[in-house]
Amino acid sequence: MTASTLLLIGAMMITLSILLSPLSNRLGVPVLLLFLVVGMLSGEEGPGGIQFNDVNTSFLVGNLALAIILLDGGMRTRVATFRVGLKPALMLATFGVVITAVITGLVAMWVFHLSLLSGLLIGTMVSSTDAAVVFALLQGKGLNLNERVGATLEIESGSNDPMAIFLTMLLISLIGEAGHVGWFDSAMLLIKQFGIGVVAGAAAGYVLAWLIMNVTLTLALYPLLVTAFGLVVFSATNELGGSGFLAIYLCGVVVGNRKLKVLQDILHVHDGLAWLAQLVLFLILGLLVTPSNLLVVAPGALLIALVLTFFARPLSVWLGLLPFHFRWREVVFISWVGLRGAVPIVLALFPFMAGVQEAYLMFNVAFVVVLFSLIIQGSSLSTVARWLKLEVPAAYQAERVYPLDLKEAGDFELYVFRLRGKRWQTPRFLRDLALPKATGVAAVFRDGRYLPVVPDLAVKEEDLLALVAQESDLPRLSERLTAEQKSQYLQELDFFGEFLLNGDARLSDVQQAYGVTVPDADPAMTLSECIISRFHGHPVVGDKLELGPITLIVKGVSGDQVTSVGLKLNAF
Amino acid sequence: MQLNQLLTQACTIEGAAWSSKKRVLEQASELLASQFDHLDVDAIYNGLLSRERLGSTGLGGGIAIPHCRLQDCDKVTGALIHLKDPVDFDARDNQPVDLIFVLLAPEEAHDSHLQALARVAGLLQDESNLQRLRRAGSAEALYQTALDIAAQTS
Repeated sequence: MTASTLLLIGAMMITLSILLSPLSNRLGVPVLLLFLVVGMLSGEEGPGGIQFNDVNTSFLVGNLALAIILLDGGMRTRVATFRVGLKPALMLATFGVVITAVITGLVAMWVFHLSLLSGLLIGTMVSSTDAAVVFALLQGKGLNLNERVGATLEIESGSNDPMAIFLTMLLISLIGEAGHVGWFDSAMLLIKQFGIGVVAGAAAGYVLAWLIMNVTLTLALYPLLVTAFGLVVFSATNELGGSGFLAIYLCGVVVGNRKLKVLQDILHVHDGLAWLAQLVLFLILGLLVTPSNLLVVAPGALLIALVLTFFARPLSVWLGLLPFHFRWREVVFISWVGLRGAVPIVLALFPFMAGVQEAYLMFNVAFVVVLFSLIIQGSSLSTVARWLKLEVPAAYQAERVYPLDLKEAGDFELYVFRLRGKRWQTPRFLRDLALPKATGVAAVFRDGRYLPVVPDLAVKEEDLLALVAQESDLPRLSERLTAEQKSQYLQELDFFGEFLLNGDARLSDVQQAYGVTVPDADPAMTLSECIISRFHGHPVVGDKLELGPITLIVKGVSGDQVTSVGLKLNAF
Repeated sequence: MQLNQLLTQACTIEGAAWSSKKRVLEQASELLASQFDHLDVDAIYNGLLSRERLGSTGLGGGIAIPHCRLQDCDKVTGALIHLKDPVDFDARDNQPVDLIFVLLAPEEAHDSHLQALARVAGLLQDESNLQRLRRAGSAEALYQTALDIAAQTS
């Protein structure tokens, strides 16, 4: 095959996949599944008929793609969500992965008559979840999860990959040494993987952020600098014996949470790169697999998938989240969203590289489990989220955000809002907008023209308002500037109820006003304090307190404080 | 709950020229106290005001439903007011308010209070209802429109 035909085939597969991607929304299946299917159809047993069995190339592409995906995921992880999500997610990523791996592994051992270590290896491979799939699916359906669930899932999937990769490598070395690796060596391996991964990743993140701020480059080169630097961190950490995946994820988290002027550009480009990585990864994995081999292992692998989905994952999530007092709905959803993506299949390539005997079997089993998960869990996600009532109305967002990125400007940023909705059909004076203090209107644009900012300038629908404000004022600012479309406004009333109460309202006054009692609560507390204690310190928007004829619903939080609470009159 | 059981013609005002949230609460208290002998102006005003302190009863869309429970009150009682010029009411959408439905309820009547509140809030969320109320033009027409709307959507 010449270079030119190779290129032609590769590019055609990518083009076809991209053009087919809108189908995923219509079919309600993850787009990754489509990519995988395109890969399989192009392969040896499909109409494409391409013979591809190059595990080495797949392994290289797999590692590269995962690194890029994790870097992008890291940059999109908001440190603010650590408030509610970090500890539960870390619990799931460590303890949860082990529980899942052991249970699934024991079943695999029994089903395929494997040794304990080989069984556990299969269990480990399939224990890591993929949140990118989850969020792509939910966003496609216009679903917005409550922060506790969203943050936990997101951080979990970023941090359980390194754990699964580590366990895989540990098991492979145990198999290779025929069980002669001691506890001490295993513990050292764990400490090295995590220790070096964390330190290298975080340090590299700060260095990279510093470089971005201090080195003047052509704008287009910043995103590529991030990619290249990220890959340096990834491979250097691996060379040092740390977890490169953990390092590149953390590097992304650090960079993504520094206020960088060029962050939007970087994210934009990386969005595309992450897509490309997923695409190529799934196409190659689809090509690599021999579908008829899947059928051979299918019965056993499906049993493993069933145990994983309906027993191992729910049990590990339930146990792992016990200390954090999640609601049962949240536990059920997080259990169901143990979606498996690329990681298990890439991990299944490790045994090939190490020359493990049952490598083919493991690869095919992992493949079936991922297919099962993408089809069954992937297609039911949004229905389950609705059914469990974990959605919250999406917050209104600024059209553009520009960090000022100068020391003297503190944490002020430039926001551009578009005035939308019924309320702005009647023009209103700037001076009547009652914006938060320490907020300045910098410019108003209409039909491509700049309007001078004076107090009696009347602004109206479709005007662009550029404001300088602090991030902490953003929720109030968006509240002031938006009246959503009628339907969304109604949806908000529907969700948060008719009236809004302040977080600092006294519980006794609320009880008095509505003749209800909050059981086991000191009436001298404020609403905020009461809700904080109910939700164990970390309330999120959408948390509910059912009080008979009325329901209180958290509408606004700032850090761990509740700022506003909706009051819903329950139907009689 | 029927609207005519809690709202009377005398407690319906069209085109009131009250200039602030405070004035609205004061004037509405006086109106209700003047109609019902057993109700005290200050008690009503203080009740409504302390409820507002918990968070504005402005629902958004120019509507407010100030409400409270009162010791002297013997049945759920309301007043409907359409202001000539909208006033700032700290409503959730920060829009000024021109349609106001005040609701007073007895201490002990939890359910009927909340029922009435839900009913009124429901009626005032329908855009066409609001247009009809705002265009009524006179107190009589406003009262009649309110009853009609309630009858149509019961």
